[in-house]
Amino acid sequence: MSRIFYLVQKEFRQIRRERAFIFIIFVMPFIQIVLFGFAVNTDVRYVPIAFVDMDRSQTSRRLLTAFCANETYTYSGMAATEEMAKSLLDIGKIQIAVVIPPHFERDLRTGNRPQVQAIIDGVDGNSAGLVLGYVGQIALQLQKEWLPDTGMPDGSPPVGLTEIVPRMWYNDSLESKNNIVPGIIATLVTMITAFLTGMSIVREKEIGTLEQLMVTPVHKNELIIGKTLPFMVVGFLLLNVGILAAGLIFGLWMKGSLLALWGFGLIFMLSTLGLGIFASTLAHTQQQAMFVVWFFALFAMLLSGFFIPIENMPRAIQLVTYLNPLRYFMKVVREIYLKGTPVIYLWKQALFMLVFGVVMILGASARFQKRVG
Amino acid sequence: MNPVLPTIIKKEFIHIWRDPQTLVIILLMPLMMLILYGYAITLEMKQIRTAVVDLDKTPQSREFIEKIISTGFFHVTRVDVPYRQIEDIFFRSQARCVIVIPDNFAEKLAGDSSTPVQLVVDASDPNAANFINNYMARINVGFNLQHGAGNGGIFSVEARLLYNPDLLSAYFFVPGLVAVIILLSSALLTSIAIVREIEFGTMEQILVSPVRPNQIIIGKIVPYLVLSFLDGVLILFFAHLWFHVPVYGSLLLLGFSLFVYILTGLCFGVLISTVARSQQVAMMAVMVITILPSFMLSGFIFPVRSMPHILREISVIVPATHFLRIIRGIMLKGTGIFQLLPELGILTAFSILLIAISIRKFHTKLE
Amino acid sequence: MNRQSTGPDSFAAETTVVVSHLTRKFGSFTAVDNVSFTVARGEIFGFLGANGAGKTTTIRMLCGLLKPSSGSASVAGLDVYHQPEKIKTKIGYMSQQFSLYEDLTVRENIQFYGGIYGLSRLQIRSKTDELLHYLNLWDQVDVLTRDLPLGWKQRMALSSAILHDPPIIFLDEPTSGVDPASRREFWLLIYELAARGKTVFVTTHYMDEAEYCHRVSIMKDGRIVELDKPERLKNKYAAKNMQQVFINIVKGKDK
Ligand SMILES: Nc1ncnc2c1ncn2[C@@H]1O[C@H](COP(=O)(O)OP(=O)(O)O)[C@@H](O)[C@H]1O
Ligand SMILES: [Mg+2]
Repeated sequence: MSRIFYLVQKEFRQIRRERAFIFIIFVMPFIQIVLFGFAVNTDVRYVPIAFVDMDRSQTSRRLLTAFCANETYTYSGMAATEEMAKSLLDIGKIQIAVVIPPHFERDLRTGNRPQVQAIIDGVDGNSAGLVLGYVGQIALQLQKEWLPDTGMPDGSPPVGLTEIVPRMWYNDSLESKNNIVPGIIATLVTMITAFLTGMSIVREKEIGTLEQLMVTPVHKNELIIGKTLPFMVVGFLLLNVGILAAGLIFGLWMKGSLLALWGFGLIFMLSTLGLGIFASTLAHTQQQAMFVVWFFALFAMLLSGFFIPIENMPRAIQLVTYLNPLRYFMKVVREIYLKGTPVIYLWKQALFMLVFGVVMILGASARFQKRVG
Repeated sequence: MNPVLPTIIKKEFIHIWRDPQTLVIILLMPLMMLILYGYAITLEMKQIRTAVVDLDKTPQSREFIEKIISTGFFHVTRVDVPYRQIEDIFFRSQARCVIVIPDNFAEKLAGDSSTPVQLVVDASDPNAANFINNYMARINVGFNLQHGAGNGGIFSVEARLLYNPDLLSAYFFVPGLVAVIILLSSALLTSIAIVREIEFGTMEQILVSPVRPNQIIIGKIVPYLVLSFLDGVLILFFAHLWFHVPVYGSLLLLGFSLFVYILTGLCFGVLISTVARSQQVAMMAVMVITILPSFMLSGFIFPVRSMPHILREISVIVPATHFLRIIRGIMLKGTGIFQLLPELGILTAFSILLIAISIRKFHTKLE
Repeated sequence: MNRQSTGPDSFAAETTVVVSHLTRKFGSFTAVDNVSFTVARGEIFGFLGANGAGKTTTIRMLCGLLKPSSGSASVAGLDVYHQPEKIKTKIGYMSQQFSLYEDLTVRENIQFYGGIYGLSRLQIRSKTDELLHYLNLWDQVDVLTRDLPLGWKQRMALSSAILHDPPIIFLDEPTSGVDPASRREFWLLIYELAARGKTVFVTTHYMDEAEYCHRVSIMKDGRIVELDKPERLKNKYAAKNMQQVFINIVKGKDK
C-alpha cells in the first residue's frame, strides 16, 4: 500500500510544478462561472422591431406604443412599405415587423375586424416562437382595452377572461444563472478530471516513464489507483472552488446538503476517471487521447440536460442520454442546489452513477495492461 | 519560388498520412457529432409533463383543461392531485408544472372579472419555465379569443414567419453546430503541432536548417487548412442532405467564408501552440477556450442580444459569433457578400493578427 | 579501460537467463527470430546490432513487458510467460528512452522509485544518501532532473533502476548520445556491479563498448549471428577490433 502513497505523491509533485494546472483548478472556475452564468438566457429581450403604419391614426399609434412599452422589443424605426420592412428583415436589422393596414381605426370602430400583420424572422425558431407569444399577449391586452369603444353588437354578453397567474417555484426571478451555474460546476469537474487522467497516462507512455513503471513490481491496480486518486482530489478541489465561486460571485449557495453533494461528486468522478484511463488505453499519442476525451466531454455536456432539456430530444437520443453519467450528476447538482431535494429522492441517480463508475473503472483496468505493444 | 516551404508542407502531409487512426478521427468525429447533436439540440418543448389540480370540477373547467391538452404542448401525467402534494411531485420530477383551477372558476367566468388560473412551475430550469409560461400564455390567448370578446376578437393578428416557417430547430441549430464543430476541430489540430515538435526535440533539428519561423508556421497551417476545409465541406453537405437545411445563398460565398473561418481557427491553434509549454497544456487551453465560449457566447443557442453588455462585447472576439451570422445568413436567408463584409472582415483580421502574434512569440521563444 | 575482468570462467557456472527459440512477431513481421542463449551469473553480456535488429524487443520479452510469440525464456529461474510480475522484483531495467521524471527533482525521483520498489522509508533515506554521494550529485539534489547534463541523467537513471538491489540488470542502449568521458564512467559503474556479482545484460551499438563485455552476441534482422568472447570473435574474423568484426558480419563477409 505504501507504493500507492509514492505514486500519489509523485503525481501531486508533478501537478504542483505545472503552473497552468494551478490556474486551471483555482482560477478558471471563477472565470467560467462569471462568463456563462450571465450568458445563458433564452428569454428574448430587446428584439428589434419596425412598424409599417398605413393608418397613421391615434389608435394605430396606440398599438405602436403598446409594443414599444414592452421590454421584449426595441423600437428601431418605421418603414414606409412592407417591402422595405422585408429587406430590413433580410439583412437582420430587425427581427419583427408589424404592419398596420389602412383604415385600421375606422374598421375597428365599425366592427369590421381589421387584420394586423406580424412578420417575424423565423430563423431562430425558439425566439420566434416566444416573440409570437408576446405578440398575442399584447394583442389580447389591447382587445380588452378597446372592447368598450368598438361597434360590437350591444346585445353581446359580458365576457369573463381567464388570466394565467404563474408561480415560479425554486427560482422565482427565473434567473438562468441559478440553473446554469451549478451546471457549469458539474461540467468543469467532468472535463478536467477525465482530461487530466487520460493525459497523464498517455504522457508517460510517450515519454517512456510508463515502460519503466511497468517493469517494477508495482501491481496494476496500484498503478491505476495511483493515477486516479490524485485527480479525484483535484476534481474534489475543483468542485469546492466552483461552489465557492458560485456563492461569492452570484450569492448562489445550495439549499440542500453539502455533504450529499460531496458524496455524489466522488461517486460521479469514478466514471470520469475511468473514462480517462480508458482513453489512455486506446490512445498512443496525447493527440489521440485528447480527441477521445474531447468527444466524450461534448457528448457529456450536450446530452446531460445542461442547457438543452432532455425531454425536448427525440426518443432515440433520450435513450442515448441514459448512457451519459453526467446526466445523473447534472440532475443531482441542480436538485441539491435549487430545490434542496433530500437525498432519498436521489437514490436512483446515485445508483446509476455508482454502477457507471464501477463498470468504467473495472472495464478500463481490464483493458489496462502492464505490458507494452 | 522558395523551395523550402513546399518541403515543410510535404513533411506535414506525410505526418498526417502516416497516422491513419488520427486521420479517421479527424474526419469522422465532426460528422458524428453533427448528426448526434443536430438531433439532440432543440429547445422546442413538447409533451411537457403536467399535473392538474381541478378544484372546480365543472364542465367549464373541464373544457379549459381539454383546450390545454389538445394543443399537444402538455402531457398530463397526474390529475386531481391535492395541492399539498405539489412539492412531492416536483421532488420526484413527475411533472414540470402544475395547473391549478380555482374552485369558483365557472362562476367567475360567467361574471365580468378576470378569472385567475394558477400555473405552478418548477423553475429550477428557468429556461424551460419560461417556455412553459409562454406556451400557456399563448394557449390562454387562443382560449380567450375564441371564447370571449365576441368570437375572435375585435381585430386579428396574422403572423407570417419568414425563412423558417415551421420554426424548425434544425434550421437554426445545424448551421450553428457546423460553425462550432469546425472551430473546435481546426483549433485542436494545430494547437499541438508546434509544441509536439518541441517536446520531441525535432524542432531543434528543423531550426538549425535555414528555415525561417514564418515558414514553419505557414507550413504547419497549410496541410490542416486543406484537411479542415474538406471536413467542413463534408459536414455542410451532410447538414444539407441529412437535416434538409436549405442553402438559399451563393455556394461560392459559403465556401469562401468557410475557408476564412477555418483559417481563423487554425491560426488560433498555432498561437496556443507557440505559447504553451507542453502538449497537455496546449490541448487543455484549447478545450477550455474554445468549447464553452463557442457554445455559450456565440449566439449558437442563446441570443447575443439578450446578454449583458459586457458579454456582448466579449462575444465579438469569439470567432464563432461572426461565422454563425454568416452561415445562417447565407444558408437560410440568401444573404449576399456585401451584407456580410463586416463579419468576413473581422474574421480575416483575426487570422492576420493571430498569425502575426504567433510568429513574434515563436521568435522570442527561440531566442 | 584498464581494468581487465574475465567474468565467470566456465559456462557451467550458474545461469540466470536461459533463452531458447524465442520468437516475437508483429503481424507478419518477425522482429526476433528463434534466438537461443544463456547468461551466467556475474557476467556482462553484450547485445549488439544495428538499429531495428531486435535488441529492444528481446529485452522487453525478458523483462515481462512483451509476450513472446513462441519459444521459452526464464529469468532468475522464473518463466517469462507465467511469472512476469515475479521477474520484475529480480531485475533492474533501464529502457532506451530516458525514464526519469524530468519535472521532479533528483531527490524526488530517487524517493519515488525507491517507494514503488517497496523500500522502507529508512532504506530510501540511506539509499538516497549513498547514491548522491556516489554520483557526486549532492549539490544538485533539489535541481529538476531536466536541468542535469545528459551523462548525469543517465547514471542517475541506472542508479534509480537498481535501488532495490536486483541480481540481474538489463540496460538498453544506456550510453547513447553521451560523450566519451561519461560513457567511460558509466562503464566503470557496470564493472562495479558485475564485481558485486550482478548479471548485466547490456545492448549497445558502440563497438568499442563491446570490447568491455565478457561475451557479446551480435544480432542481425532478428537473429543471433554470432555469440562469443570478443577476443575469439576478433580472431575468427581476423579483425583488429570489434568495429571491424561487426562491419564484416553486417556486410555478410567471411561467412
Ligand atoms: N510494437 C511494435 N509493433 C510493430 N513493430 C515493432 C514493434 N516494436 C518493434 N517493432 C519492430 O521490430 C524491429 C525490431 O525493433 P527493436 O527491437 O526496437 O530493435 P533495436 O532495439 O535492435 O533497434 C524493428 O523493425 C521495429 O520496427
Ligand atoms: Mg532498441
